[in-house]
Amino acid sequence: MATSDFYHPSLAFLMMAVALPFLPGNRRWKWLLLLPPLAAIYAAFSNLDGDHFTLTWLGLSLKLGHLDPLSRVFSQVFAIMSLAGIIFSLHVNDKGQHMAALLYVTGGFGCLLAGDYLTLFIFWELMSLGSTFLVMLNRTRESVLAAFRYFLYHVAGGLLLLAGLLLRHYLTGSFDFGPIDPKGATYADWLILAGFCVNAAVVPLHAWLPDAYPRGTVTGSVFMCAYTTKTAVYVLARAFPGWEILALAGTIMAVYGVIYASMENNARRILSYHIVSQVGYMVAGIGVGTAMTLNGASAHAYAHILYKGLLFMSAGALLYSAGSQKLDELGGLASRLPWVMVCYMVAALSISGMPLFNGFVSKTMTIAGAAEAHRTWVALGLELAAVGTFISVGLKLPYFAFWGGKAPDPNRELKAIPLNMYLGMAFLALLCLAQGLYPQMLYKYLPYQEAVSDFIPWTPWNVIQALMLLGFSGLSFYLMRKVIEPHKALNLDFDWFYRLLGRGVLFLISRPLAAADNVWTVVWDKVGLRFLKALGALTSWFDRQAIDGLVDGSAQGVKGLGSLTALLQNGRLQHYLGLMVVLGLLIFAFFWYGF
Amino acid sequence: MPNQQGQDFLARFLAEQLAPGRPRVWRRIFLALLAIIALLGLIIPNHHPHFGLDGYAFFWPIFGLVMGLILIFVVKKIIQPLIKRPEDHYGDL
Repeated sequence: MATSDFYHPSLAFLMMAVALPFLPGNRRWKWLLLLPPLAAIYAAFSNLDGDHFTLTWLGLSLKLGHLDPLSRVFSQVFAIMSLAGIIFSLHVNDKGQHMAALLYVTGGFGCLLAGDYLTLFIFWELMSLGSTFLVMLNRTRESVLAAFRYFLYHVAGGLLLLAGLLLRHYLTGSFDFGPIDPKGATYADWLILAGFCVNAAVVPLHAWLPDAYPRGTVTGSVFMCAYTTKTAVYVLARAFPGWEILALAGTIMAVYGVIYASMENNARRILSYHIVSQVGYMVAGIGVGTAMTLNGASAHAYAHILYKGLLFMSAGALLYSAGSQKLDELGGLASRLPWVMVCYMVAALSISGMPLFNGFVSKTMTIAGAAEAHRTWVALGLELAAVGTFISVGLKLPYFAFWGGKAPDPNRELKAIPLNMYLGMAFLALLCLAQGLYPQMLYKYLPYQEAVSDFIPWTPWNVIQALMLLGFSGLSFYLMRKVIEPHKALNLDFDWFYRLLGRGVLFLISRPLAAADNVWTVVWDKVGLRFLKALGALTSWFDRQAIDGLVDGSAQGVKGLGSLTALLQNGRLQHYLGLMVVLGLLIFAFFWYGF
Repeated sequence: MPNQQGQDFLARFLAEQLAPGRPRVWRRIFLALLAIIALLGLIIPNHHPHFGLDGYAFFWPIFGLVMGLILIFVVKKIIQPLIKRPEDHYGDL
């Protein structure tokens, strides 16, 4: 998987995951974890475009190393995020968690560089597997149950994709993975789209995300928030650009996520709903499908991975240190965890699209692109989501976690946060700022370079428009801060329907199917088994008498001779000796008189 | 340095901001900033309105304020009371 001009970033991650259990337990192996991300970063900047690695298997050619401008920009940010995530999780001693993360990232890069649907499917499933363990290895009952639900759901999504790609192969004769014209779409394409939409958390297929991510390990959720949905964004951008339904779906996602985040109490669930919302911007950009909005979707995915990783890191640090991620149990922590607060705020202002931070240069590009393409309602829906994002992630979460009108409690016990967690956060915080200040850092890697100059983020009007929008939505938060105060509650979401479906299947199996099975067992016992025994006796008789009779009774003869010789073997030595003498005499007589 | 909680300059600064009277100062700073932003919005022209309304100077401040108020009110007072359940509603905690 490595040639002079190409190195597949998955390779080192996979090798590391396989080698990890065999490395000696003195924890020096942790430094080796840094190698795969560093190799991936090098590869992301040095690999050349083209089809690099094709494997022929069962008469199929699997294209494992397809690189073009679209996959390049995604593999760059995947590589950077993998380094940040590994640094953030260096203090974890549980090899299982590291293996799950490494396999998960292996799958992510594999999907990005897949040149055909079959390769994509293999790595797609590897991602599901790795991420399931990132939830399960939190090792609480709540997390294990969530991991099972997560896995079931992703298996179902994977089956939609598998059915779609097989039917597509049946219809077109190829596994080629490229843009699909919405006018000539077949039912196979719709199945593939549905499979992708499961992972992109498109409403109403999204509820697995706020179910599982808040229950993952502190470090595991940092990986998960970056890769699953953004891989789905990448495959949507590759296969379904310009599908009008995605513009609508994305706008709904953007607003829907914000609505749920505004009422949620669990910090990492607020952030999870904001993944739905932010991925909505990208899906809408893909749906509008102009060069500018596709650039916007890619730029926003890039920026989003960095600031969302940082949001999950700082919320995770809060959970790690204070032992809770529920806003009503936090508060008064600003002066006790000041640097966590600063890192959180960098990410929060980035996601809100505040000038100076990277969300400002990516979100505005998508919205401006939608407006340029005369999708006014898409643009306005995304602006509304921006208001809600600033209110819930930019203000509500930090206000109630770090202040909340509570005085700092000096007696509250806080676990010291390891240095590596701070380093991981600082790394991403600096990148969020750098991209906001120097948009070219991001823009020069966008897939449609010809459209990059159509949008300039740092104009006086764009800056003042963002400040007006955010400043006055901040005022609305200030006026309503008593109303928006979060309390312990579970807010019903579409997973109510998934659970109903699950319970329905369970009921079907445990009641009607089990009852039918019981009846069948009795019937089988009484009728079927007896019939079989009788049939067995009959065929055995037939075998002895009829078949053997036809082949001159040899079996019957052998059997008779066998019983006769068995009679001779009675265990008495004198009989055996006598028999030997008789046999010896007979042989002697045969030779003496015979010749 | 960051591990010594409550020791570094940032922690001291943040703790001092909770002293009596300080929150009021911050509120005044916030409101003054809003006024400046709104004023700048009047001065700096939008050369490229996309749909009639956003050509007006106060469109975006009003959009931010009104949409924020509506969003919080609708979400907390109408939607959440309908779909709110006890935390362990599904029995998987």
